[in-house]
Amino acid sequence: MSRLEAKKPSVCESKPLTRERLRTTLSVLKGIVASCYGPSGRLKQLHNGAGGHVCTTSQSSALLRGLSVTHPVLKILTTSMQNHVSCFSDCGLFMAILCCNLIEYVEGIDLAPTTVIELNKQLLSLCTSYLKSEACACRIPVDFSSTQILLCLVRSILTSKPACMLTGKEVDHISALVLRAFLLTIPEKAEDHIILGKSIIVPLKGQRVIDSTVLPGMLIETSEVQLMRTLPIKKSSALKVALFCVSLSGDFSDTGEGTLAVSYGVSLESAVLDQLLNLGRQLVWDHIDLVICQKVIHPSLKQFLSTHHVIAIDRVGVALMEPLSKMTVAVSSLLLCNRNDTAWDELKLTCQTALHVLQLTIKEPFVFLGGGCTETHLAAYVRHKTLNEPGSILKDVGYTQTELHLIAEAFCSALESLAGSLEHDGGEILTDMKYGHFWSVQSHSPPVANWPDLLSRCGCGLHSNQEELSWSFLRSTHHPFVPQNSLPHEAASSANNLTLDCFTAKLSGLQVAVETANLILDLAYVIEDKN
Amino acid sequence: MAAVGCLKAALQVAEVLETIVSNCVGPEGRQVLCTKPTGEVLLSRDGGRLLEALHLEHPIARMVVACVSSHLKNSGDGAKTFIILLSHLLRGLDAATDKEKDSLVSENIQTHGRHWKNCCQWKFISQALLTFQEQVLDYFMDQCLSRHFLSVFSSSTQEKTLCRSSTELLLEAYFCGRVGRNNHKFISLLMCDYLFKCVAYNSRIEEVFELVDDYFAELNVGVIGLPVSDSRIVAGLVLHRDFSVYCPADGDIRVVIVTETIQPLFSSSGTEFVLNSEAQFQASQFWIMERTKTIMKYLQGQNVKLLLSRVKQPDLVIYYAELNGISVVECLSSAEVSLIQRITGLSPFVLPQTCSQHEVSNTALLKFCKPLILKSKRYVHLGLISTCLFIPHCIVLCGPVQGLVEQHEDALHGAFKMLWQLLKDLDLSYMTGADDQSYTSSPLIYKNSRESELLQEIGNDSIQRSYQGTVVKNKDKLVTVRTHLIVYSNLEIPGVELETYVPCSASKLTPADTHQTDDTLKCLSQNKTSIIDDHEPLIESKFTANSTTENTKIEMSYENVQVTKSVGKGNTLPVSCKSLESYCSSSIPAGCVLPVGGNFEILLHYYLLKYAKKCQQSEETIVSMVIANALLGIPKILYKSKKGNYSFPQIYIRTLHALQTNQPVLSTQTGLESVAGKYQLLNSVLQCLAKILTIDLVINIKRQPRKVYDQDSEDEL
Repeated sequence: MSRLEAKKPSVCESKPLTRERLRTTLSVLKGIVASCYGPSGRLKQLHNGAGGHVCTTSQSSALLRGLSVTHPVLKILTTSMQNHVSCFSDCGLFMAILCCNLIEYVEGIDLAPTTVIELNKQLLSLCTSYLKSEACACRIPVDFSSTQILLCLVRSILTSKPACMLTGKEVDHISALVLRAFLLTIPEKAEDHIILGKSIIVPLKGQRVIDSTVLPGMLIETSEVQLMRTLPIKKSSALKVALFCVSLSGDFSDTGEGTLAVSYGVSLESAVLDQLLNLGRQLVWDHIDLVICQKVIHPSLKQFLSTHHVIAIDRVGVALMEPLSKMTVAVSSLLLCNRNDTAWDELKLTCQTALHVLQLTIKEPFVFLGGGCTETHLAAYVRHKTLNEPGSILKDVGYTQTELHLIAEAFCSALESLAGSLEHDGGEILTDMKYGHFWSVQSHSPPVANWPDLLSRCGCGLHSNQEELSWSFLRSTHHPFVPQNSLPHEAASSANNLTLDCFTAKLSGLQVAVETANLILDLAYVIEDKN
Repeated sequence: MAAVGCLKAALQVAEVLETIVSNCVGPEGRQVLCTKPTGEVLLSRDGGRLLEALHLEHPIARMVVACVSSHLKNSGDGAKTFIILLSHLLRGLDAATDKEKDSLVSENIQTHGRHWKNCCQWKFISQALLTFQEQVLDYFMDQCLSRHFLSVFSSSTQEKTLCRSSTELLLEAYFCGRVGRNNHKFISLLMCDYLFKCVAYNSRIEEVFELVDDYFAELNVGVIGLPVSDSRIVAGLVLHRDFSVYCPADGDIRVVIVTETIQPLFSSSGTEFVLNSEAQFQASQFWIMERTKTIMKYLQGQNVKLLLSRVKQPDLVIYYAELNGISVVECLSSAEVSLIQRITGLSPFVLPQTCSQHEVSNTALLKFCKPLILKSKRYVHLGLISTCLFIPHCIVLCGPVQGLVEQHEDALHGAFKMLWQLLKDLDLSYMTGADDQSYTSSPLIYKNSRESELLQEIGNDSIQRSYQGTVVKNKDKLVTVRTHLIVYSNLEIPGVELETYVPCSASKLTPADTHQTDDTLKCLSQNKTSIIDDHEPLIESKFTANSTTENTKIEMSYENVQVTKSVGKGNTLPVSCKSLESYCSSSIPAGCVLPVGGNFEILLHYYLLKYAKKCQQSEETIVSMVIANALLGIPKILYKSKKGNYSFPQIYIRTLHALQTNQPVLSTQTGLESVAGKYQLLNSVLQCLAKILTIDLVINIKRQPRKVYDQDSEDEL
């Protein structure tokens, strides 16, 4: 018997952001994501107490998949990050840390939430219009005539995921492979709109990373017996392929809604088999060399084909059918090796991210300077703009300059603190007063008189200490300055070993972070349904 | 056992709810995060959703929530204002009765007795409230407030044409209360763009609203993970599924809709197919194949490039479609099919018996047909050519989380509902006393209906007589008469009642040819001048004098909004039928708006106070005063955070001053809001309040009342 139970009343919590419970959980989450960030980020091991799969990772997507969040406000933050990652693969941690920072830094400011939100929005649009403009000094246009920038981009992604456990040499090898695999998916005949092919990652676990390779075309897993049978075929010309997505097992379905009466002695099976064999004969007649079927091929048909030296591969599954039918476009297979399962999983995820990032880069041919330089540069730009041209930012909204300065300071601190999260070993972080780039000093370096000697290159690698620069600590108070445009683009694109970030993913990550932070700051109540 | 004093209990409940909603109301309002038992999170500023999410237990609270949701069903907006208004009303009543109790009730009456006495008093108040709601409120709307109304229609044309800038203001004010501060400007602009892109001509917009309302889910696509600012409008229709087969095609793209499988089956429902030999089976299969092939070839011959199917098509159909260069989309929902049919007027394709070279009649042309990729998910994008007033466009709504996209979806849908309501005329009816002496005659609430009927029975003759008298008296007041006629054109004609009821003012002297059905009424409100022309002969014959009935409706430009000034309707004419009370029908015309920021409330407050001073009966005075003061609660909250010149007292004083000196009331806010919505809200609140007041005791039952044969259920009482 069913029972109707009265619904329990919900719990309504006002001003959630002022609650201790949320503050602690938010800082815990921030601690987790910030400690994972960057090439020297700390790894997290996820496992459930009952044993089973252990995941070692520092990537947002893998981390969040295993992490269950209960506080509704945090749920907003984490789902927002997961959704971002599902769109762009990259910059998930960037988005989450920035969002936490933005919430944290406005906490102490005694302004109405609506003011904070409105001004955050204005600052965001200031940032996005700068980052999209020609004048932007922290982005580089991608030169497709050389692989330099694309290679740097892939390498930056690989080095930022320490759980892949790659050595420097291996990083170079894998970056080259990923880029090659990607380039193979670009069709040779370029029409007005290019449809990119697919790159399939094939697992080869337990082998050396250096053994990984890229093959044009695609690999289909078959049994050894079948392989032995098919191997003898050697043909100089191209193979003729027949691709079936329907079942060739001779099953007979969908006879309609009425009934089908079969007289005694009539065998539908043999009738169907006859037809299948007819098909086989036709295939042989047409000089087909390879028959691939998504579903099952009837054993008799298989036998028939095999005796006529036609290779038959069945049960390839729907996942491979799409790239197979695109064979004429462009498909590549990346055979990926790594030492153990967890490291392989992480490497696979990283390679997928890199391939996706390359696709995004083709659509919007720009890259951001990585290594924290974009963040510090942007912060310097915002500081400079809000101090010198507050009118242009405040023209539509009725807020005072003081309010703007307070919020802009919080905004810039959030960006700088995000860049600072790259440093995990207690080193000092500095910024130069000319370009606004990110510089770090190792913590246990010997005391020297002229400490700029300790700074070799900035975070992205574009500038070295050879130039006449002055530095200041990132966390100290600055005098706002006009961040200058870096080297000319030609020099930038020829520079080796730059650390670069995906343009599309980072720009969207910035927007989503501010929007999500605004959303959380706007909350007046949390109503939890306790049923 | 029982709640002592229902009013007190209700007040407590309402005040708790008020504290919650007052944080979310108006432009400064904030978001509420609701979690579902399933773990999903939802963002909302929708008062209705919020109240439901609370799962309230208190019986009065539940009653209030039920009232709110029934109000929302009708008008789609105003849940938060409902709660605020209700608690202010309760507070006002509480204070008023407290005062009276002190003076009236002697000390030695027992508490219990006092309780019952109070209940009786509340019952009277409740009745007075209902009377007010039914009879007085409409009078105020029609007679007093209507002169302040603005319209969303452009003043330049005769037809009802939505004015873009007014619509923008209206929508902005609406979204201010519905979506987060972060996005309301963006969303309201998006909505406005969408609206004006979808409407073919600016007339008969109601049709478009109806269609969008019906098929809202089909007309928007949610994309999660992108910033909200990536939301956009795409021309054409986006189906929430991918092509089964996609063959790129240019130029003349024809489309057919099928509702069944194209491939013939062995047996249809209720029949039996007997197979006697293998050869027969193979032959049948061959025939099926040939038949499918022929049909698809035939479609190709008719230049059909796209097949939309309600059902899943067999592999064979898909195969032949691909061979013939026909794209296929399968498993369309019935809503999608009917939407496409509404837009294009296309009916489903019937399989021909013989595939001759006849033209397929049921095809439609497309501008384009291509896949649309949103966040790596593929959709079908169709450039339908519309045969109705709706030009198909879809909204792509982006947001970082599902909850936010849903909120925006809800808000957009609500906005369409609100606009649709706004485009309808709202009927008003009230009793009016033809107190001929003074212009400022206050309407009497008519309490004895029998008397009125009696009067009407004998009325007809006297109308004539008194009417004649009017004419004579009015001969030298033609100017006034003219004004009335013009005003009249603004009203909806009181329907059939007018034939029997006594018209008491010039504006109600309806010519015989116009008390007719709704059709005429609609036409009336749509085309003003022509109706006025209709009256001409009549007026001439009766008044034998000046009959210039040019459209002298006074129009004043208020920024970009039209001001319709309906002056002193019916009041100035001294009709000599004394002591006649009559039933007036009128309406709030479609498209009436007022500036936001408590304009409606302050105006009504002003007129109610004026009215209350003249009331004779104590209940009426109390009710009017309480309502008048409660109305101010809303602007008080709206201006809570404003300082100086924009603070509530300043605004209030300025508005009252303007009203007293007959100057135009200027608003500090730019947004607009629907008058009809506000009116309906006030009505619903008063009804709810009356309902609350009639309850004298809340009895808690520990368990469900058992059936009669259960003996032991009695002992607990």
